[in-house]
Amino acid sequence: MSSLPEKIEQYRQVLNDLAAKTKNIKELEEVKQAFLGRKKGHLTLLFEELKQLPPEEKKAAGVVLNNFKMEVQKTLAELEEQLRRPRAEKTVSDLTLPGKRIYWGAPHPLTLFQRKIEKIFVSMGFSVEDGPEIETDYYNFEALNFPPYHPARDSWDTLYINDQLLLRTHTSPVQIRVMEKKKPPIRIIIPGKVYRRETADPTHLPMFHQVEGLVVDRGITFAHLKGTLEYFIKALFGEKVKLRFRPSFFPFTEPSAEVDIECLACHGQDSQCRVCGGTGWKEILGAGLVDPQVFKNVNIDPEKYSGWAFGLGIDRTAMLAYEIPEMRYFYENDLRFLRQFNRR
Amino acid sequence: MNISYDWLKEYIALNLPPGELAKYFDQIGLMVESTKEIEGDTVYEIETYANRPDTLGHLGVARELATLFGLPLKVPAWQLSELEESTFDLIDIQVLDSQLCPRYCGLVVKGVAVGPSPEWLKKRIEAIGLRPINNIVDISNYVCFSLGQPLHTFDLNRLKEARIIVRRARKGEFIRTLEGQPVELTPDMLVIADDSKPVALAGIIGGEESGITEKTTDVFIESANFDPVSIRLTAKKLGLSTDASYRFERGVDINAAPLGARMAASLLGQFGGKVSRGLLDVYPNQRKPKSVPLRLKRISELLGIEVPEEFVTRTLTALGLKLNEQKPGVWIAEIPSFRVDLEREADLIEEIARFFGYDRIPSEVTPARSFELPDNKEQDCLWLLKETLLHYGLDEVINFSLADPEKEKIWQTGLQPIELRNPISSRTSILRTSLLPGLVENAVWNYNREANGVHIFETGKVYFWEADGQQSEELHLGLLTSGRQEQKSWDQPAGETDYFYLKGAIEDLFFYLGYEAPVFEPEDQSFFENGQSVKILTKNETAGYLGLIKQEIRKAYELEKLAYAGELNLAVLFNRQPRAFVFTPVPRYPGMVRDLSFLIEAQVNFQAIDAQLKKLNVPYLERFEIYDRFEGGSLPAGQISYSVRFFFRHESRTLLAEEVDRAMLNIISHLKSTLKIQLR
Repeated sequence: MSSLPEKIEQYRQVLNDLAAKTKNIKELEEVKQAFLGRKKGHLTLLFEELKQLPPEEKKAAGVVLNNFKMEVQKTLAELEEQLRRPRAEKTVSDLTLPGKRIYWGAPHPLTLFQRKIEKIFVSMGFSVEDGPEIETDYYNFEALNFPPYHPARDSWDTLYINDQLLLRTHTSPVQIRVMEKKKPPIRIIIPGKVYRRETADPTHLPMFHQVEGLVVDRGITFAHLKGTLEYFIKALFGEKVKLRFRPSFFPFTEPSAEVDIECLACHGQDSQCRVCGGTGWKEILGAGLVDPQVFKNVNIDPEKYSGWAFGLGIDRTAMLAYEIPEMRYFYENDLRFLRQFNRR
Repeated sequence: MNISYDWLKEYIALNLPPGELAKYFDQIGLMVESTKEIEGDTVYEIETYANRPDTLGHLGVARELATLFGLPLKVPAWQLSELEESTFDLIDIQVLDSQLCPRYCGLVVKGVAVGPSPEWLKKRIEAIGLRPINNIVDISNYVCFSLGQPLHTFDLNRLKEARIIVRRARKGEFIRTLEGQPVELTPDMLVIADDSKPVALAGIIGGEESGITEKTTDVFIESANFDPVSIRLTAKKLGLSTDASYRFERGVDINAAPLGARMAASLLGQFGGKVSRGLLDVYPNQRKPKSVPLRLKRISELLGIEVPEEFVTRTLTALGLKLNEQKPGVWIAEIPSFRVDLEREADLIEEIARFFGYDRIPSEVTPARSFELPDNKEQDCLWLLKETLLHYGLDEVINFSLADPEKEKIWQTGLQPIELRNPISSRTSILRTSLLPGLVENAVWNYNREANGVHIFETGKVYFWEADGQQSEELHLGLLTSGRQEQKSWDQPAGETDYFYLKGAIEDLFFYLGYEAPVFEPEDQSFFENGQSVKILTKNETAGYLGLIKQEIRKAYELEKLAYAGELNLAVLFNRQPRAFVFTPVPRYPGMVRDLSFLIEAQVNFQAIDAQLKKLNVPYLERFEIYDRFEGGSLPAGQISYSVRFFFRHESRTLLAEEVDRAMLNIISHLKSTLKIQLR
C-alpha cells in the first residue's frame, strides 16, 4: 500500500490529465465533484486517511496535503475561467490565408488632382466657383480683352455652336462672371472642363480640365502673384521643386508670366529628354496681373483695385506629377489605368 | 520664328557665345523652343506672341537684346544707285481704299539679272527655314525677316499699262496665286490690280501672272501696309496663311514701308539693278505717335518692388520710346510706331518688369483683409457623393462631352442635342444629352480588355436646347453596373451584379447626402427594357431613372453582358436643402421585436405594402424591415410570401408584451383589409 505523499502524487497526475481533457463546464463540474465531493471526493478521502496517520507523520503529511488542496482549487478555478471566457465558434486552420478586403472604387485621377489643388487654395482662404461651359463670345473673348479678329484668338482655337455661342476655351470667362456680380475683395479658384478645336496628340485633346485663380483687392502686386503661386507649386510638387517665372503674353493680364517647373523626368540633365525636349523646364501655368481693360469691362476701377490671375491645365500637370505620357489615358477609362489611383 | 545668331550680329555687337544666349531670350519672354546649328550659325526657334509683330524680324529681336545688354543698335543706311527716270514715270499707282491700305510705298529696279543668290544670302534664307529660290525672291524674304515688313515683287513688264490699282475685288473676279490654284474673290477682299485684273491678293500672296520669272529684268517692289482685320478675314476665308499675312494680321510698323522698299532696292543693286528716282509713298492719313503716361510710383504699386528711376528711363529709351518728364516721377512716353502693343501704362510697366527681371521681384503671400464664409455647397455635395459611390465599389470615369450623333440617336433621350458648327469630326459633332452612352462605351472597352465586370459612375454635364431655344447644361450623375462583382474573398465566389446593387447605391446616396429617401416608380424609358425601369422621384420631382439597358442598345454597342444603368439630374438634388442634422438621444429602454409572415397577391408590389404600413401610424413602432421574400415552390400560383420584422420601443419606459401584441393585431387587420394578406 502506497503512502499518502505517493497517493497525492498520483492524484496530481490525474488532475493534470483531466484538466487537459476538459472541454466544457459540464465536464469541469464532474472533475470538481471527483476531487472536491463532500463524501467521495479524492481530497475528502485523503483527509480521512491523514487522520489515521501516527502523530509524528501527521504534521509533515498535513502540510503536503493542504498544499495539494490549494493546488487543486487553483487549477480548477483557472480552468473554469478559461472555459467561461467567450470563444470564436470556428477556429482558423491557416492564419496565413488572405484577409477579406472590401473593394473601394477608384477616383478618377483628374478628380484626385483637382481635389489636391482645391485643398491647397481653400487652405489659403480661396473659395471655389463654377460657370457655364457653353459661353458667349463676349465672356470667352471680348470681356477678356481679345479684340474681334485678333490673331491672339488663334491660340484659343474655338469650337462654335453658332454666331453667339461657343464652348469655352478656358475657365477665364468665369472671372468675368464673378467680377460682374461680386465686389472686391475676390479670392477664388475655378476648376472645370474647357474645349479647343485641336487634333488629338499626346498632349492635346479637344476637351481637358483647367483651374483658374483670381485675386482682386487693393494693393495686390506681382510679388503677391509670385509668392502665392510658388507656395502652391511647392505644396503640389514638394518643397525642393525648382521653378521660374518668365514674361509671356495673354490679352487679359499685364504684365503676363508663364511659370515653368524643372523637368521632373531629367532635372535638366538629358538633352534628349522626351518630357521637356531637353530644355530642362516644363511650362505648367500662365499668370499675370489682371489687365486694366478687363477691370474696366466689369466696372472695377483699376486705379483703386489690382489683382492677379492664373490658369493651369489640370491634365498636363497631373501627367507631370504621375509621369503619364499620354493625355488620352484620362479619357479611355481603362479600369487597369483608373484603379491605380485607388492608392490615394 | 527662327532667329539666326549671325543675322542678329548685323545689328548688334553680341559678345556672348551662342550657347549662352538662350537663357537671356527666355528671361525677356522670347521663349526658346529649340536651338540648332546650321552651317556654323546658331538658329533659335523662339515663341513669339500675337501682340509683338516687331519680334517677327531680326531687327526687332536685336533691339530687345540691345536693351537687355545695354548695347547700341546698328541700323544700316541703304545706299541706292539711281536711274535718271523717276518712279512716277515708270509706274502709276492708285490706292482706292486707304482704309484697308493706309500706306503704299514702291520703287522700280531696272536691269536686274535674275539668278541664284550669293552664299551669304542663301545661308540667311536657310536659317529661317525657307528654301532659296532666286536673288529677287530671296531678297524680299530677307527684308521681311529683317524688318518684319513683308514685300511683294512684280515683274514690271507683266503689269498691264504699268499700273497698280489697290482696290476691293469685284464680284466674280478670280486670281491664280503663286501657289497655282485659282481663287474666287469677293468684294470684301483687297487686291492689287493692274489695268485689267487682280495681280495679287493684298498682303497675302501674289498672282502667278505678274510674278518674277527667269526672264524678269525690271522689278516693281511693293512695300505697303494693310489693315490687319481685313487681311485676317481674307486669309481665313481663303484658308491661306503666308509669312506676309501672318505679319499683317498682327500689325506691321506703318513706318517700315519706305524702309523695306529702300532696303530691297539697295540689295537688288548688287545684281545690276538701278533704282528709280523718288520713293513712291501713298500715305494720305499720317499717323501721330501714341502717347502714354507713366508714373514711377505706379511701377512699385503693381510690381511690389521699387525700380530705380534711372533703370526705367534707360530701358524705355533703349526700346525706342521718348520720355517727356511732366514732373518728377511722371512722364508722357511717346511710343515708336513699331510697338503696336504699347497703349497703356500697364503695358509700359510690363516692359520695365521684363527687363528688370521677374526673378528680381520678391515673393510675398497675398494678403487678405477678410475671409468669406465657406459657401461651396455644390462642390461639397459633389465630393460627398463621389466618396459614397467610391465606397460602394464604383470606379469613377470621365468621358468627353462631345458625342456621335448617330450613336446618340439610338438612345432617344428626347432631348434636342446641341450641334457644333465646326466639329473636329462627324463623330464628335454634338454635345451629349446623356451620360449613359459614354458609360456603355466604357463597359465595352473594358470587357474587350479582360474585365469580368464593370461598375462605374461619372458626374458631368449634359447639354440640350430648351423648348424656348435657350441652351441648357445640367450636371448629371450616371451609373452603370454590369457583370461580375468585385471578388475580394477566397471563400466566397463573386456574384453577378444586379438591379438592387445600383438601387442601393442610389438610396445610400440620398441617405448620406442628408436628403429624404427617394421614391422609385415603375415607368418605361426608351433605352431600358420594358417593365424593367423606374423613375426616381424626390418630393414629387423627377430626379432620374434606373433600369436594365435595352438589348437593341447593347447590340448596337456590341455589349454582350447585361447592364443596369441609372442617371440622376444633380441640380434637382443640390437645389434642395438637406435636412438639418441634430443628434437624437440613444434609446434607454429595451425594444421588442415581432415577426410577421404572410402571403400576398403577386401584383401588389413592395412599395404598396411599405406605403400602407407607413400610413398606419402604429404606436411605438420604431421601424420595420423585410427579411425574406419568395414565390413559387409550394406556394399557390400568383402569391408571394413575405416575412417582415417589426421593431417596437417606448422612449421612456419598457413596453409590455400586451401593448406590442395589440399593435401587431392592428397591423395584421389593416393589411388584411387593404392588401388582402393571408397569414402563414
